[in-house]
Amino acid sequence: MRPEDAVASAREAAVAARARGAYGDSLEGFAIEPTDRVSTETLMEWAVIEPDESLMRSTRRAGAPITWFKRLLLRGMRQHFNELTSQESRFNLHVLVHLAELEDRVRQLEEENARLRSGEAPEAPEA
Amino acid sequence: MTRVVHQVLSGAGPHDAVTTQARAFRSLFRSWGWKGDIFAGHIDPRIASEVRPLDELGTPPPDALLLVHYSAYAPRLRRVLDLPNRKLLLSHNVTPARWFWDYEPTVAIHCQLGRAQLPEYAARADVVAGVSGYNAAELGSDVVIPILFDPSSLGPAGVAASGGPPELLFVGRLAPHKRQDELIRLIALLRRHRLPDARLRLVGEPLNPNYLAALTELGEQLAPGAVTIESSLSMLELADRYRGAGAFVCLSEHEGFCIPLLEAFHFGTPVVARPVGGIPEVVGDAGLLVEDRDLAVVAELVASVVEDVELRAALVERGTGRITAFDRDHTASALRAAVDRTAAAPR
Repeated sequence: MRPEDAVASAREAAVAARARGAYGDSLEGFAIEPTDRVSTETLMEWAVIEPDESLMRSTRRAGAPITWFKRLLLRGMRQHFNELTSQESRFNLHVLVHLAELEDRVRQLEEENARLRSGEAPEAPEA
Repeated sequence: MTRVVHQVLSGAGPHDAVTTQARAFRSLFRSWGWKGDIFAGHIDPRIASEVRPLDELGTPPPDALLLVHYSAYAPRLRRVLDLPNRKLLLSHNVTPARWFWDYEPTVAIHCQLGRAQLPEYAARADVVAGVSGYNAAELGSDVVIPILFDPSSLGPAGVAASGGPPELLFVGRLAPHKRQDELIRLIALLRRHRLPDARLRLVGEPLNPNYLAALTELGEQLAPGAVTIESSLSMLELADRYRGAGAFVCLSEHEGFCIPLLEAFHFGTPVVARPVGGIPEVVGDAGLLVEDRDLAVVAELVASVVEDVELRAALVERGTGRITAFDRDHTASALRAAVDRTAAAPR
């Protein structure tokens, strides 16, 4: 087969194979999804800072003792880091709550605006 | 007068493609009687003897040129823009952040900032170039300084191993945009429908331990015992992997250039790849480019590369010829022309 014909041939072969019932496999599991637009829910998850201590390691060859030492330092500083991450998480979460409230208000105002433009009576404010 | 060209990198590492290029360029400069050092914002300790910290760049003599390799955000690199020296910006491409947010947020932030910062660098450089036409076009330029591919560092092409089970190979960082997860699904399909004893070998430094663990688990789940993941290989070991491969398969979603394609050509390994970013320019007609998202099509294509002797021979022959487009003379000529153009740029 010439290289120029290979892709077309593969497409035909795949169609024929599917017609025979092949390639219907369920290939579930870890799959990459690019993040184009982060939802507020995802931001909420990310807002809580929880560093994974096991990721602290040395990249040097035979760096196990250095990794051990780094993790020892980390444990010694745990009290301080907990204070840092809790303050950071608190700030992140409050900003996100405000953001969610603003989104709700904007949505309500847009809906109200749409009703006014269409001549409908505005909804009575909640008591 | 001896020309001085200092090269500036955001980061330098022993296996990093940009660092490898900077070292190759320095070797070219020296062969032309020029001078210049390599400076980086972050230096891997393993290469500290060859690269100087960026702080040591200081204020170079006014007639020294700065070749800025841009591949990632580096806050301290911005200082270089304020220097009065003429600058040649060489874009190696920055991967879009969308591939990293879920897996390594720090890398995502650097990518996001890097891509946002790149136009400013381009605007303040005297000449803007890319290692591929794709990279150059992103910045509105048509100046290309291709990657200098030196196969001598890889050893001789040698003889491809035969007789064993067919092995697919991919070489590249274990990172989301390289889509090793797709390759694992591909090998699972191949084994179930076309090549029952096929294997997959992934070579590359993992983005982080969690990402490596996720890929390893996926391999065990979909193709138990058929997926091998390796990193930090020596050149000799890497050469062996290429020689033993039945095909080099690249399903990356983003590549500014993709040097392993040239390595595969050098070792006579047939190439199947997705035509994204700079890949079509690198591959030319020497590999099979498949844009289909349907992995069944890719599986059929890979199976024909492994099984069809005529197809395989044609790809190997074309691959061998393709390397000449990235040889020392070709890149040296483009590099020298770009440096001359930078030196002559009006101020």
